[in-house]
Amino acid sequence: MSPALASTPTTPAQWPEAVDLTTRPVALRTCDLTLGFGSRTVLQGVNLGFPKGTVTALIGPTGSGKTTLLRSLNRMNDKVPKHWHQGDVLLDGQSIFAPGVQLMALRRRVGMVFQRPNPFPMSIADNVLAGVKAHRIASRQHHKAIVKARLSEVGLLDAVSDRLGSSPFTLSGGQQQLLCLARALAVGPDVLLLDEPTSSLDPISTEHIESLLRALVPALTIVIVTHNLAQARRVADQTAFFYQGRLVEAAPTARLFEEPSEPETARYVSGRMG
Amino acid sequence: MASPAATSLSGAGAREPLDLYGRPPWRRRAADRAGWAACLLALALMGAPLVSVLWGVVGRALPGWRWDVLWQPATSQGGGLGSEILGTLVIVAGVVVVAGTVGIGSGIFLSEYASGMAGSVLRAGSEVLAGIPSIVLGYVGYLALVIGLHWQFSLGAALLTLSVLTAPYIAKSTEAALRQVPTSYREGADALGMAPLHAMRRITLKAALPGVVTGLLIAVAIAIGETAPLLYTAGFTDNLPSLRWAHNPVGYLTYAVWTFYNQPSNVFQDLSFDAALVLVVMVLVLIAVSRAVVARAGRHAERN
Ligand SMILES: Nc1ncnc2c1ncn2[C@@H]1O[C@H](COP(=O)(O)OP(=O)(O)OP(=O)(O)O)[C@@H](O)[C@H]1O
Ligand SMILES: [Mg+2]
Repeated sequence: MSPALASTPTTPAQWPEAVDLTTRPVALRTCDLTLGFGSRTVLQGVNLGFPKGTVTALIGPTGSGKTTLLRSLNRMNDKVPKHWHQGDVLLDGQSIFAPGVQLMALRRRVGMVFQRPNPFPMSIADNVLAGVKAHRIASRQHHKAIVKARLSEVGLLDAVSDRLGSSPFTLSGGQQQLLCLARALAVGPDVLLLDEPTSSLDPISTEHIESLLRALVPALTIVIVTHNLAQARRVADQTAFFYQGRLVEAAPTARLFEEPSEPETARYVSGRMG
Repeated sequence: MASPAATSLSGAGAREPLDLYGRPPWRRRAADRAGWAACLLALALMGAPLVSVLWGVVGRALPGWRWDVLWQPATSQGGGLGSEILGTLVIVAGVVVVAGTVGIGSGIFLSEYASGMAGSVLRAGSEVLAGIPSIVLGYVGYLALVIGLHWQFSLGAALLTLSVLTAPYIAKSTEAALRQVPTSYREGADALGMAPLHAMRRITLKAALPGVVTGLLIAVAIAIGETAPLLYTAGFTDNLPSLRWAHNPVGYLTYAVWTFYNQPSNVFQDLSFDAALVLVVMVLVLIAVSRAVVARAGRHAERN
């Protein structure tokens, strides 16, 4: 195993048993969320709660609106031309679209990791600190410790400890993704949104990120878009199946895969669609 | 019936195996060579005047070169170029500050905030400004500043006029460079909740720096090399630039090149070539410095 992955926090065998989703408060909830771009409606009346301290996987065929939903949870769609929405998204019961809501504060609480790793053109250490500096979270003398802590949390420290000052583009794609994860974690979010974070990674890095996600709950609430059904089964407490812009079914992961209540879900999870 | 394309695709077995050592047909080789020749010719056409200028200037200036030309003030007997060099440096520094601020600011505005009508109008305006002949701008500067504001021929008038002349270039290249910055950087910054200005300073502008510096470089090269607008605004003097920036004329190198060359005395003609050499060296140093700046800023850039 590569040194980067040596500090894997937990192994699949130790993952917690299914949590009772119904007894948990929700961190984030979409209320009848309908949205689109121009004349196109991309999401139709989505009602979905994300219980605090759990992992929710969003699955569904290409173009079913998973990314769009994820991006509306921290209002990343705001800047997209011709974007409109109806309905609401509640963070701890409060609308994220309410007039007084500060986008910067919202996004500090609801962090995001993109499908393609996107480190900034600055040193590896500065990448981890980008958000910390932007929000003045810690004073200068703590920066070094933060870099070390975050990098070791994502299991990247050993691989990069001797080149914290060099360019992040010298890292492998998987390492870049871990760096982006460390960067997102460094501002201390409550919710973490991940869009196919492992789609370009090898199985070992993928397993590593999955274990990391399990280690991050219940401190964080995690939403992950994935095309990898096995991954959803491995990491998610709850899985939501999307089809053509509608939420077809959301249920505890084991139940969604083993006893889906909708025929589309059954066809998709059994590999006959998608 | 199979189409010809389908036949050639599916019928790979019927084809001769590709000979790795076979030379391409002569037509393709000829076209290739002609293309290279055309590029070389273009390069030569561009390089020849440069070499000739360098040769002429260096060849004439070096033999009688005196280092004290760099700081001696001019006298009626000849002297040096001290005040002209200082004048040019001060003008250039001023243009970097004034045109740099205005130009980079406008570039940021154009790329990040000005969309639709407002953006098009501003962009068109900036292009028109860039297209106005410099001597016209010089005259406008003269009317507005020297006459209108009752300044005299001065550093201030020269500086502002040159800044108006050069700011559009800086704005244009800044805007173009900012538009090249990958969306993923901006989205990454947004997703961290960075304040827009913070993201601009730390990420977007930094990624766009090579383009911004190119714009600055063009602007400074213009500021160093322009003469026409300065005739109307800077005046000329052998004295060092003074603190009375709106009221005292200022000397500059291009003027020295031009006037001294037309003097009957050999001493002055030599000075004219010295001034030209100093100008050339200044531009070269400038290019080297800006390269170093860009290289340093880009040491963490993608595609290194
Ligand atoms: N900016 C946009 N303008 C117009 N249509 C868009 C825009 N963004 C997304 N869409 C459309 O919305 C639909 C859902 O897209 P989305 O990216 O959410 O799908 P997805 O489920 O993430 O698919 P994938 O699994 O391929 O990533 C698609 O049909 C897409 O074409
Ligand atoms: Mg997607």
